[in-house]
Amino acid sequence: MSSNLYTYGVIEQDTVDIDRTGVNDSAPITTVDYRSLSAVVSEIDEMEPEQTDDNATAHDEVLRELLESDGGRTVVPMRFGMVFKNANTLKNVLRNGHVAFRRSLNDLDGMVELGVKLVTKDDTDVDRPAVVEDVATRLREVADTEAANDLYSDRLVFNRAYLVDRDDQPAFDDAVGEIRDEYGDGLHVQYNGPWAPYNFVDIEISAEGR
Amino acid sequence: MFIVDDLLVRPFMSVLEAIHSMAIRERYDTTALKNQIKENRLLYELGERSQSEYEQRNDRLRTQLDIAREAREQTRGKVEVMR
Repeated sequence: MSSNLYTYGVIEQDTVDIDRTGVNDSAPITTVDYRSLSAVVSEIDEMEPEQTDDNATAHDEVLRELLESDGGRTVVPMRFGMVFKNANTLKNVLRNGHVAFRRSLNDLDGMVELGVKLVTKDDTDVDRPAVVEDVATRLREVADTEAANDLYSDRLVFNRAYLVDRDDQPAFDDAVGEIRDEYGDGLHVQYNGPWAPYNFVDIEISAEGR
Repeated sequence: MFIVDDLLVRPFMSVLEAIHSMAIRERYDTTALKNQIKENRLLYELGERSQSEYEQRNDRLRTQLDIAREAREQTRGKVEVMR
């Protein structure tokens, strides 16, 4: 059976050395190159891998290792589940999307994504609009761009992703620390990252292209 | 005779189809299920749900989501009749 290529993201052309398994426990993690771009891939059997917790974590962690490897790389992440039939179909996508990938790599140069969520603790009553405004204002001061995400639970008060220059990350950490000091009694403050900048890339690859 | 039958049957069928498709939408609301899956994960990460509780809920919700997706797929034609 021929293998398909599960694709994690795109980086400046380079080789990668990632010592972990990818989606569906696939290994090794390698690259497919087209001009100045490298797509980071691993071979899997399925065209539609299941989005289990383990697979979602594997996808995120491969990207995170990429982000942290080689002194900090810029990564244009793919969303979960991008599988190509073979290296040629993937190269076609890199060729057709070359300008968009190049632009994204330039825009995201030196940037990481950080996520902040505020969640009510049991039965706490908070002034939601006031909290949202205050927290958003503080974080905007230390971030490049923000993206508001879905409030998928009634308990979620705030759910945003931030594009932050690596150099500004300590300042962002401090801002989140202050928010936690101020609101931590009534709200859980969940701070995570750095992630590949999923919320700040807008490249769509249609199923026909794969 | 054919015309009379047609008139009698059609309005009745469309009401049935309306009820049927509304029931499908409610029962197989994939967005609500996806949100519950995400909420379950969030509450587990915040330490409000134990690992076993999280896993049990997650399995149940994912099974429901699979069923919902399949049901919506199978009834797509019927739901579109309504519009």
